[in-house]
Amino acid sequence: MAEHLILSRQIDEEAAKKRLQRLGATACEPAWVSLWAAALGLPNGTPGAWLLSAQKMRRALLIVGAELPAQTTAIDTELRIESGLPPTPEALNRLWLWERMATPRHWRIQVLDSAPTSIWLPCWLGYARGRQHRLLVISGLSGEPLPMLKPIVLKGLEQAYRNGSESETKSSGVNKRREKAV
Amino acid sequence: MEGFTLFDTVVLIGYISLIAWIGSRFGKDQHNPEDYFLGGRKIPGWAIGLSVMATQASAITFIGAPGWGFEGGLERLVTFINVPLAMIVLILVLVPIFHRAGIYSIYELLERRFGPATRTLTALLFLIARGLATGVVLYAPALVLAVVTGWSVNLTIIIMAVLAITYTVMGGISAVIWTDVVQMFVLWLGALLSIFFLVTSLPDGWGDVFDFGAASGMFNAIDLSFDPSVTYSLWAGLFGGFFLHVAYFGTDQSQIQRVLSSPSVLDAQRSLLIGGYLLIPQMLLFLFIGVILATYYQQHGLTPPEDLNELLPRYVVSAFPSGMAGLVIAGVFAAAMSSLDSALNSLSAVTVRDFYSRYIKPNASDAHYLKASRMATIFWGLYATLFAFFAGNLGPVIEAVNQIGSWFYGALLGTFLLAIFSHRSNARGAMAGLIAGMLSVWCVSSLLDISWLYNNTVGVAVSMSVGYLVSLSAPAPSQDQLSDVMMAEAAPDMQAVLAARADNAEVIGKEARLTRRRCIGLFAWFCLMLGMLALLQGWANG
Repeated sequence: MAEHLILSRQIDEEAAKKRLQRLGATACEPAWVSLWAAALGLPNGTPGAWLLSAQKMRRALLIVGAELPAQTTAIDTELRIESGLPPTPEALNRLWLWERMATPRHWRIQVLDSAPTSIWLPCWLGYARGRQHRLLVISGLSGEPLPMLKPIVLKGLEQAYRNGSESETKSSGVNKRREKAV
Repeated sequence: MEGFTLFDTVVLIGYISLIAWIGSRFGKDQHNPEDYFLGGRKIPGWAIGLSVMATQASAITFIGAPGWGFEGGLERLVTFINVPLAMIVLILVLVPIFHRAGIYSIYELLERRFGPATRTLTALLFLIARGLATGVVLYAPALVLAVVTGWSVNLTIIIMAVLAITYTVMGGISAVIWTDVVQMFVLWLGALLSIFFLVTSLPDGWGDVFDFGAASGMFNAIDLSFDPSVTYSLWAGLFGGFFLHVAYFGTDQSQIQRVLSSPSVLDAQRSLLIGGYLLIPQMLLFLFIGVILATYYQQHGLTPPEDLNELLPRYVVSAFPSGMAGLVIAGVFAAAMSSLDSALNSLSAVTVRDFYSRYIKPNASDAHYLKASRMATIFWGLYATLFAFFAGNLGPVIEAVNQIGSWFYGALLGTFLLAIFSHRSNARGAMAGLIAGMLSVWCVSSLLDISWLYNNTVGVAVSMSVGYLVSLSAPAPSQDQLSDVMMAEAAPDMQAVLAARADNAEVIGKEARLTRRRCIGLFAWFCLMLGMLALLQGWANG
């Protein structure tokens, strides 16, 4: 597995709680999702934004900025979810083509000719209870809901549950609090 | 009566040039690539809200609604009274599914659910319907140009078509928030100034308007007749118009595009909310201008123009001070160009994504697809132009554009609802339902005397029921086909996983469901609007 760049968590726990509460969640926990970042910019120019994707994603996420907001400290014991192999360059180009078709203003921006960077994207997972349990995923960078990441996160949670890593991944939450979510 | 003066022409050209300059300055020539993406980030929330409102204040509204109000008073408002309810359905049902599915064109969802034939047919229906409606949108500014210059409307249609196609093929004016805000301001200023000049020209001002409106039944917005042939009964508005607007905002790519491109579901909801709150008051304003114009024509013993779409542009040109008329007419042009640009773009995007890249050139280069999308823009521009020549015979443009939609929308929406709500339905049923829905609308509108608003209800009901029944004759869809329309976490084993995680996650207190509150707000708004119309009607009828 390639070395991951760790993006720094911009949305702290309090802010995440508020956002998830508005979406109907009653419990939350931090998580990290591995994705692949491809640089976007004018031809032969410097990056101005990053396209985050994985082979299993149908649409990519867009992060604006010349540089990815990286952190130097390692990820602690929070839940980590792998999304698999990087998309092929052809798939990335095609993904960006359809994004540009949808937003013609971006037409001149291209995927820059470099291999995608492997990253850990910080997320917050919210759990809502109605007739059924629901999962909500919001970005740890902007706080925006990321419904397109749900299939990857669900698969990761299922995998963690199967692997019996449950006790390990929940430790951070349990240490902080003992009461149960209602 | 000054007419359209040289100064007006200077203002018109100046305004259009200024908007074009702002668009190109802030939309294209950025040297820093971050500027392409950061366009709206540093702009205050109120400006973004106004820009969303600008997309709802189209030239069609400015031109068509006063003629509509002139003819029938406020009764036609029932066509739009359902919009808050339609937005609730969009927010609760359609938008979350479309967003989660990660699609560029909503017809892709139907391919995953029902197969390629359903996607192709629904996308084709969209192209036909939106292409026709674009013809009406093209007719609106052409009519204004004809009024201003005195030229034949057929000539101005050709001029406007050449301008709109060239402008779109060249890349259009990039959507810049501030140009939308200016456009919104100018159109509303035009409407409010029209009211001011009209009312002050009447001997008793508002008294004349209310006396005439009440005496001629123009404030009777709510008709409780159960007769289906009554075009604008409350029931036609609630049951027919509701499906019309769910389909228009939810299954028409030109409208849902903004939602699919929103960074998040909450952003998408916000633009729908603004539409949900704004459309009724906006339509009320322009219909009311129609009522005031009717009073004005009656008081001054004037004969209205044969084409009622000309009413407000004619008044603006004849009564507004020099310069102000040019500004308002320029606002109408800018709004029309913006609508045409986005309609032609969505038509060409669907053509390339749903047809060209799938059936003709699946693996071409970006440059090739760009060229193909430009050719598609020209094709749909010509198609719309052909239809624009007939648009003048269709009555008020705002009714024409909705009637055209009603021929197609019911069956389209029915197919989407079948995909989402009936997990037993399959490709065979969806195709049968779609075709039966279209045929039923055609039969009902040509054989029965019922309100055109009900076409949408008929289309939805027939396509869903036929779709479901025919589905029973073929195997049920696979779990994979249902993945986009089912909650991914609904499976029992996933529920166990989520329950375990939720039990051990941090408690964040009582839920504060924003979506639920937003929907309750929209419903309350609907009740308030209906109540106010009932009060006005009660007052008018003594």
